[in-house]
Amino acid sequence: MSTLKLALRAEPPQRANLSQLSPGVIGSLSVSEIEKLVLVDSTSPVRVGDCFAVSGEAGGALHIEGGSQRLDYVGAGNTGEVVVDGDVGSYAGRQMRSGSLEIRGNAGSALASNLRGGKIIVKGNAGDRIGHPLAGEKDGIAGGTVIVLGDVGDFASERMRRGTLIVKGRMGRSAGARMMGGTIYGEQGLGDHAGVQMRRGTLIGPTLEQPLATFADCGTHDLLILKIMERYWRDKLGDLAPPVISSAPRRLMGDMSSLGKGEILLTAG
Amino acid sequence: MSDLSVEVATAPMTRNGISIDDTFAEAFGMSATGIIITADTPKWARQSALTMTGFGTSVIGCGAECGIDYEIAPEDTPDGRPGVRALVFGFAPQLVEEQLKNRVGQCVLTSPGSACFNGLESSQKISLSGGPRFFGDGWQTARKLGDTRYWRVPVMDGEFVIEDKAGVVTDAVGGGNFLVVGEHRKGVLEACELAVEAIENVPDVIAPFPGGIVRSGSKVGSKYGAPASTNDAFCPVLRGAVDSQLGPDDKCVLEIVIDGLTSDAVANAMKAGLAAVLEAGPSRGVRRISAGNYGGNLGQHHYHLKDYLP
Repeated sequence: MSTLKLALRAEPPQRANLSQLSPGVIGSLSVSEIEKLVLVDSTSPVRVGDCFAVSGEAGGALHIEGGSQRLDYVGAGNTGEVVVDGDVGSYAGRQMRSGSLEIRGNAGSALASNLRGGKIIVKGNAGDRIGHPLAGEKDGIAGGTVIVLGDVGDFASERMRRGTLIVKGRMGRSAGARMMGGTIYGEQGLGDHAGVQMRRGTLIGPTLEQPLATFADCGTHDLLILKIMERYWRDKLGDLAPPVISSAPRRLMGDMSSLGKGEILLTAG
Repeated sequence: MSDLSVEVATAPMTRNGISIDDTFAEAFGMSATGIIITADTPKWARQSALTMTGFGTSVIGCGAECGIDYEIAPEDTPDGRPGVRALVFGFAPQLVEEQLKNRVGQCVLTSPGSACFNGLESSQKISLSGGPRFFGDGWQTARKLGDTRYWRVPVMDGEFVIEDKAGVVTDAVGGGNFLVVGEHRKGVLEACELAVEAIENVPDVIAPFPGGIVRSGSKVGSKYGAPASTNDAFCPVLRGAVDSQLGPDDKCVLEIVIDGLTSDAVANAMKAGLAAVLEAGPSRGVRRISAGNYGGNLGQHHYHLKDYLP
């Protein structure tokens, strides 16, 4: 598989849009053509060559050495393999349909915006509004898998339709707000207002900071679907799979102020 | 499909003192699906599958031919519990789907602790959850993992989990068969039981009749207008009154009918079943093996007995 390498030489002076460099988007441009692509469109355009040393061949994979929170839309529309040795800015992995994105630093806001498929792994923390849809888009995350090894901010997976978000660290408030499907697994627990206005879908965590009054406590139950989900995650994610749920979780059903067919499963009872 | 023997056997071969007619089983193309039923214990997985596959002997009278293919260890089922794979055969995918809807809805959904999954990988799919999920009366919810969608239906012992689709194939085979002729029913039945046990070890096939064995082989048509009636040529009590194919010492004929997901699977089952009868038959009064066909003009698949002898 061909790999395009970008070594960061200087941080862009303003926020830069890297979406055109994603495998599946970039096509088969030569190194010199790539160096001329505009990252910051202003009266003084900043081009790829101004910030990165470019080598390799475009098409299959993209490897960015070094990172910056000014690098937005990294891996957006990606269908191949993207690795970033550092931080990224907002909208990383937006509208990916397949492939993988590995961020070895932190991610900014709106990671996995309107994600459709593929897998995103963030080894550090991620900002607010994971999966956030842009104005006019109906869904947040609508497929694929996002794994954040650190903490995440507020409103993670708002308006999620399908797919999975796994957070190894702590979660901010209002995760799964207005959710319509999919799964959010907060391994260290869920923040307050989790699932607010959710219609369908599942949030899982050992604890919930402050349950909403609009969720009904259904008691503790052995749920077969969890065994199926655990097996699926183990097969697909290996060591990154969430821990096995050993005891019957408490099921909170809601949000009854909305459709009320979602659930929060509290694995610590 | 039960057999409709019309061809007179010629030039019999002999194995272990049992003569084998130089004839063939005539079988038909069918559609088929496979499902996996799991439960908390092997007993309840099997019970659910037995109920679901009940009244599934002949597609003409039952709408489908059904049976248990094999049991599945917990580590090989989608939910990590003991399971059973059942096969359902019908004339067309939509008819198989209709049968699944009723059978799963009435027999698997209702069975304590059960869950139901696709048991046949195929590019063509039919609905598996189409009927049962609506039992949830609006409380059912879907969960999509990868390309597979599961439905969770609230029931009184928890949740009934059922996969959305099941694979279906249209090149399955129904009606592989052979007839076991002998001196007394006890011996012929024992030999057939051993044959069915051997066939149970062949994957992708079922023997849909009771215990895998048919005692009422049929011929095409009836004086009363029914599509089929008793195979008088193989009825011992009619020997002398009809154009019988039985000898003076033939007192019992039993048939084993085989349906398979592929023609190769049916052939393997024929081979296994014939070998078992030929080995166990002599001491049990088995004298002859024949097969049912329509003269070769109706079914696409012909299984000549001589090709499957040990």
